[in-house]
Order: sequence, then C-alpha cells, then structure tokens
Amino acid sequence: MKKIKIEIDGNVRELQVPDSELLIETLRERFGLLGTKYSCLEGDCGVCTVLVGTKNVLSCLILTADCDGEKITTIEGLATAGQPHPLQRSFIEKGAIQCGFCTPGMILAAKSLLDKQPHPSDVEIARALDGNLCRCTGYVKIIDAVREAAGKIDK
Amino acid sequence: MNNKNNTTSPVGKSVERIDAREKAAGEAKFVFDMKLPGMLVGKMLRSPHPHAKIISIDTSKALKLDGVRAVITAEDTYKVKFGSNEYFFPYTVDQMPLESEKARYIGDEIAAVAAVDEETAEHALSLIDVKYEVLPAVFDPVSAMKPGAPQIHTAMNNIGVMLPMQFGDADKALKESDYIREDVFYLQSAAHCALEPHVSLGQYEVSTDKITLWTSTQAPFKVREALAKTLKMEAADIRVIKLNVGGGFGGKLEMFPMDFSACLLSKKSGGVPVKITCSRQEEFSFTRRKHPMIYKLKSGVKRDGTLMAVTGEVVADGGAYCSYGPTVIAAAILRIFMVYKITNFRIIGFRVYTNNPICGAIRGFGGVQSGFAVESHMDMLARGIGMDPVEFRLKNATDPNTETVNKLVISSNGLKDCIRRAAEACGWKNKFGAAKGDGDISRGIGIGIAADVMGSKMYKAHESAGSIIKVEEDGSVYLFTGAADTGQGSDTAMAQIAAQELGVAYERIRIKAADTEITPFDTGSFASRVTFISGNATKNAATDAKQQILGVVARELKLEIGVLDIRDEQVVKVSDGSALMSFDQAVGLCYSFNYGNLIIGRGSYNPKTTPVDFRTGYGNVSGSYGFEAQVAEVEVNKKTGVVKILKMYDVHDIGYPINPDSVHGQIEGSIVMGIGYTLYEDLKFAQGQVMNPSFSKYRIPRSVGIPAIESIFVETHDPQGPFGAKGMGEASLLPTAAAIANAIHDAVGVRITDLPITPQKILEALKGKESGIGHSANGIG
Repeated sequence: MKKIKIEIDGNVRELQVPDSELLIETLRERFGLLGTKYSCLEGDCGVCTVLVGTKNVLSCLILTADCDGEKITTIEGLATAGQPHPLQRSFIEKGAIQCGFCTPGMILAAKSLLDKQPHPSDVEIARALDGNLCRCTGYVKIIDAVREAAGKIDK
Repeated sequence: MNNKNNTTSPVGKSVERIDAREKAAGEAKFVFDMKLPGMLVGKMLRSPHPHAKIISIDTSKALKLDGVRAVITAEDTYKVKFGSNEYFFPYTVDQMPLESEKARYIGDEIAAVAAVDEETAEHALSLIDVKYEVLPAVFDPVSAMKPGAPQIHTAMNNIGVMLPMQFGDADKALKESDYIREDVFYLQSAAHCALEPHVSLGQYEVSTDKITLWTSTQAPFKVREALAKTLKMEAADIRVIKLNVGGGFGGKLEMFPMDFSACLLSKKSGGVPVKITCSRQEEFSFTRRKHPMIYKLKSGVKRDGTLMAVTGEVVADGGAYCSYGPTVIAAAILRIFMVYKITNFRIIGFRVYTNNPICGAIRGFGGVQSGFAVESHMDMLARGIGMDPVEFRLKNATDPNTETVNKLVISSNGLKDCIRRAAEACGWKNKFGAAKGDGDISRGIGIGIAADVMGSKMYKAHESAGSIIKVEEDGSVYLFTGAADTGQGSDTAMAQIAAQELGVAYERIRIKAADTEITPFDTGSFASRVTFISGNATKNAATDAKQQILGVVARELKLEIGVLDIRDEQVVKVSDGSALMSFDQAVGLCYSFNYGNLIIGRGSYNPKTTPVDFRTGYGNVSGSYGFEAQVAEVEVNKKTGVVKILKMYDVHDIGYPINPDSVHGQIEGSIVMGIGYTLYEDLKFAQGQVMNPSFSKYRIPRSVGIPAIESIFVETHDPQGPFGAKGMGEASLLPTAAAIANAIHDAVGVRITDLPITPQKILEALKGKESGIGHSANGIG
C-alpha cells in the first residue's frame, strides 16, 4: 500500500492504494469516473487514454501509486463551467462520434497534441492519434474535428 | 424547450447527433459501465479442445470455493438448441447454451460460474473438472467435406448448408460466349473488433419469476426470443434492454451463451445480478468471425462485353455452429443479381462445419467475400476482351424498375449514374491504363460496384418494425422505437424522421429505444434495414400523431382535416401555406377542456417482399435496393511490394440522405474497414486456435495512412423509402477489396486473388511476371 496525493479533474484526493492498482481501476472503481473506457487492458487500443499533466497516458498501463503528486484529467474534467471544451464541441459538430466508445480517449489524445502543438498539420494529427483505435468512423471526421478545434482554440 | 437550437425540417440536414453531447462528455452509459448492488462477476468455462467428447463434468470443488455463488452446466438447463436463421433454415438451429455431450471448437461453452469477484470466478473455473475424450478434428472446409472426415454434427459430409442456385441455361450460354475464364479467389477470416466487448448483465427476480438482461446487442428482440426458447420462459417475462452500444458490425446480432448464462446464474444465485464481460482475447477467439471462403468462378462474355453466364462454386468454412451462416452464404451468391443483368447462372454454395471458431454475420454478410471475387473476376473478363472495366460495368449493370431472373424487384436504381459519376470524379479516362510512375513507384486505378439490401428475413416470418410517438401537454415529443442504435446513428435518423413528419423541430424529440418491455418490436440492426424499415415505421407513427392533432384543429376551426398540415412548428393551410396556429397552441387545444385528446401515434412497417425460396433462389428479399460504385487509386512500390492507397472515391445511390454527415460517416467507416481487410486484417488459426487474439497481433486500420475519401451521393428518391431514403450501412465495404486489387493490376500488371494483399504476395507475383509464370492465385485453402 502507498499513500499518495493526486489531483483528479481539479479535485485533490489523498488515497491509500495497493501497489498493484491501475489508474483505470482507481478512476472507474473508486471515483465512478466511467467516462474513461477500456477495451483491451494491454495498451493496444488507446481507449483508456487520460492526461497525466499534459501527457496522454494509457490508464491501463500505469499504476496509481506512480501518479503521486500528478494532475490527472479525464473526459469528465474537460468541460469548464458546464461548457464543453472546443474539442468536445468540434467532435459533436463534425460528426466525429459514432458509437462513442473511443471518443473520450480520442479527445484526450487530441488535447495532449494541441497543448504541445496548437497548429498541427493533418499528418501530425494522424500521428498523434495513431495509438487510439476507432472501428466506426475511419478517422476521417475525427481528423476534421481536431483540425477544426485547433483553429478555434487559436482564435 | 430547454435546447436553444430549433432545427425545423431536419431531414436532409446534418443535425447534431442526438447522443453526441453525452458521448463527448463521457456521460453516455454502456452496459460495459453498469454496476448493480451486490452484482457478481460471471465467467464462462470453455473447451480447450477443438473436438472432444465430454465424459464428465464435476463442479463440486468449484461450488465449495469461498465466494462462489453459482455454477451452471447443461444439467441446469433444458438442453434446448438455439440458432439464428430459424425461419428459413430451421435445420441450422444447432447450438446449445451449454454443451454437455461434445465440444466442437476451442471455446465451446461447457459451464459458467458466478462469484464475488473476478479472481474468485477465475479460480472457480480452474476447479471445474471436465473429462474429455479428444476426437479427431478437421479445420479446413475442403477436407471436412470429404468422406471419412470427422463428423462434427449430423450433417452429411459436414455440409451445414448447401445452396444450389440455377437460372437459365448456363452451359448453353457459356458455349455461345466469345471469351470464357475461370478464376479462384481466397478470402480470409476477420474479426469485428467492436471496441465495447460483448457484455451481459442478467438479473432474475424471484418474486415474479422474471428476468431482465442488459446486453450490448444489435438485436434485443432476437435475444429475448432465443432466451425465452432456451430458458423455457414466456417472452413477456424476459426484458432485454440495450443501452449505448460500442459498435457491433454484425458481431452482436444474436443471443450468446454468455447472455443465457448471466440470466441463469442470477437465478441460481437467488436473484443477485450477474455480469459477464468478454476480455479482448475472448472477443477475438470465441465470439463470431468472418467466414473464410474459396470462391470459384467461370464466366463467359460476348466480344461486345455482354455478360452471358456466371457459374461457380463457393465453399465457406463455417466453424463449429451455423449462426447466421445460411444468410451469409445466400448473400455471397445472390447479391450479384442486384448488380449485374444475368439470366444464365449456376453457383452452388457450401457452408461447411469445421472445428474452428464460429463464423457468423459481419457487415455485408457474405457480400464482402463475393464482392472481392465477383468484382475482380469482372475486371479480368473485361480485360480479357480488351474492354474498359467502366464500360464493361455500364453495359451489364442493372437498370431501374426491373425484375431480375430470380425475381428481385428493383425499383429505384442509380447504379449506372454511380458508375459514370465515379469515373468522372476520379478522371478515369486519363488515368486508366496510362503509363505512370517513376522508378520503383507505379500508380494505378481500379473500380468495383455493389448493392445494398434494406432488410432480410432471418428469424421471423416478418421483419416489421414499430414506433410509438406521444406528444405531451407541454409539447414535448417522445419517440419509442425498437430500432437498435449501435453507433451508426439510427436514433438520430429516427428523431429526424419523426420531427420532419410531425412538422416540429428536431430538438423536441426525446427518444426511448430498444427495450423489449417498453418499445415496439424491431428485428434489429442488420442488413442495412433500419433507416428504411424502422424509418418508415417512425414516419407512420408521426403521421398518425399529426392526424390526431390536426383532427382537433379541424374541429375547432370547422375546416376539413385534409386542408391542414403541420410544417416548421406551425399548423398551416396546405393551399397557401398560411399559418393558423403554432404547434404548441395546437397541442394545447388537444389537451384543453373541450377536447382532452391525448396524442399517441402509432406506426409499423413491413417491407413489400416475397419469400426467398432457398432451394431455388427465387424471391424478393428486400423492399428496395441501394447501389454504389467505388474507385481506388493506389501506388505500388515494386521494390518493397507496399501498396499505398492514394484516394478512394465512393458514389452511392442512397435514395436521399436523412443526415448527410452520418451517411458520409458510414461510407468512410466502411471503406477504411475494407482497406484493413484488403491489405492486412487476417484472423489466423492453428489447429482451431486463434493465433492473433489481440490488437497488437491483429492489426486494424489506424489514423496514420488513411487515404483521402471523396464520398458523393446519387439521389434517386426511392418511392418506398422514408423521405426517399434507402439503407446504406454495408454496401461501401463490399467493392473496396476488388477496387484496390483492380488498381494494383492497373499499376503493376499483377493480379492478386487471395486476400489480404500483403507486400510479400505482390513481390512474389511481380517475380512470377518477370519470369513469365503468370499471376499469383496461390491457394491458402
């Protein structure tokens, strides 16, 4: 067991966690943050992506005990004052959401990109999302949505 | 209304999806996310052998394990078989919820446990002692059909389904042909890869003897029917509820032993809910998969390009049970008639049992496999007589308002328009056959065409769908539909159709869908049927509700009801469009002192079809048909054999798009899925064991390398479609592989006839071409 202090979606939490507890378990089981999905638990699909600081991380491959002192952002923490984040807005408007199972991880991976590179090319967007699988959309509208959001955040 | 948008006349507009906000916010709930008080974890015990007699099953040790609440085997069941095509193919009902006599594939369900947590459930599985007598197994369909092969069920030569389809006089027509060729195509297996796994949460209620099952399904009513049959319960005592579904693609179209087990384990546990979730490895290994096929074709053409006869044989590896196999093999053979004018035809199809995992429905049913075979073959025929492949297809494509030789009734048909516009969009005339490329790189272009059905009867005598619309006193509109949105956007389309017909803003519609206890019946999301069939049911319900409102207005204003309509939130006079009152005022009137009329509209729709006789192939499977042409532009590296797709063009007769962005989204998703199947997706087996059951070993398309996709609509305004719309969820996947293979041939002159088209196959084919051996066509069978 390890005692840690982490910030999840703006809330500071002090926890006793077993050394083996995965971040995905902490988020879903302890805090009911069910927006973060998982699909393989092997680090292959990107569905469980969250942000640790500004970095996109697979929450099925990281131990909560190793997140001591970190700021975690999940899809539930992305909106501010009830207003969707520009990425959420553009995913809705561009038709980038079909079944929605990959959407939370996809949006967070895109946010990590835009935080580092506010004006990405389509190739850079595709590269940044390459670890996030989607079986519905063929990625076309997802890339459109990220490009659109980048333009809006810039303004 | 608390939503500030006010989208009137929403049909034809890319309105925001009804579920997009909650999905973007991470608030959308899937069965995957569900947790009920006291919920237990369920797990399935599966056969480790591809073929084995079950001698004994001892669960006593597992039952004694601390934390185990229930263990079930076939002895706890009624031993009633279930299947998927029971209406037309009753003899293919062949699977037990839990097997007690014989295991037929690695993964056959033998027992199930419910325990307090995952570890305990896993431990309990290891304590169940099953004694097997291992039997000889057979893994390829050709060997399985030979006399003396291991007998998997009782079917002679392991042929689960045989479909001999014959029309006209193929032998005579072949003799009259100027050019005949014979080709063999090999199609591999593939996985659906929906990101939400199969998940079932069953809860038994002791006091009422009722069951509720939440399951990630495309067909809740089908699941209810199979549960009622196998649990020997009244359908009314079983409630199946679908929430958001994280993708289906045909893989969630039937009841699974895990659905059955979640319910029965809950009953055995005294009514405590039990949840069974497939791991990704289980998804790949034990759910459903695409039928591998060997597709032989021998056809003849006249020198002018007239297609004289098509003959051949299709052999499909069906795996251990039939599932939707009959429909798959039928679709693999009969789809050709929607696309090509053929009067002389003879293809025999065999869907063969093997000891491999079960094959079933996957987007397009057998259409993807036949799409590759037929559309490659047609290209080869065209080239054989020196005819342009586009011209060849235009010459032989079906026309509107025709009846095919097997009595398909085709009304609207934009196929020839699709072909012409695809050729225009890509600049076919300048690109096809032209010398191109520099150094090791060669560019090429290829075309494929396909058709969509809009429904297909499989497990019921009818394929009706129903909708109910209630308009409340405050003007809010509730739509109850049995249609099962699995992410394709059918809830949105249904809401758009309801709003358009009722004459109100899209944002007024609240939807309650796919709950067998609350919503009207619907056969499910398959065969591109929902927009067409459920859409018509919804439109009819909205018409009914509208007429009820207009009836009150007409009485109040002393007008004939026929002169009134509701448009854009206003009750109007049809003659001059003048507004008489707002929709809210009209609803207020219905609920006023003098009237007190609750507005509840109802609608159903059963498409005009005729039963298909699967002994002969005659019959009209669908109420209408959709069409498309697809072009691939590729670049082949002759040194490495790597194919790069430069651009895909898809021109699709969708009738009329209810939601254009959603339609484009279906097309883009299909094409990219098709690219994966064409170039690398390959579910591999060794002795019945799936060898690549993970996303790291089974590669699906990722965001890097997705080509530009130009998606163009041909609007034929189908006379039977709701607002002219046709279904289109599958067709864009059907011609992709052939379009790419045809483009590769155009680029480097080699013909690959076995999928996936790997760099290695291209290099081998190029080597053969240099040494004069001819093109590949090497077998995998």
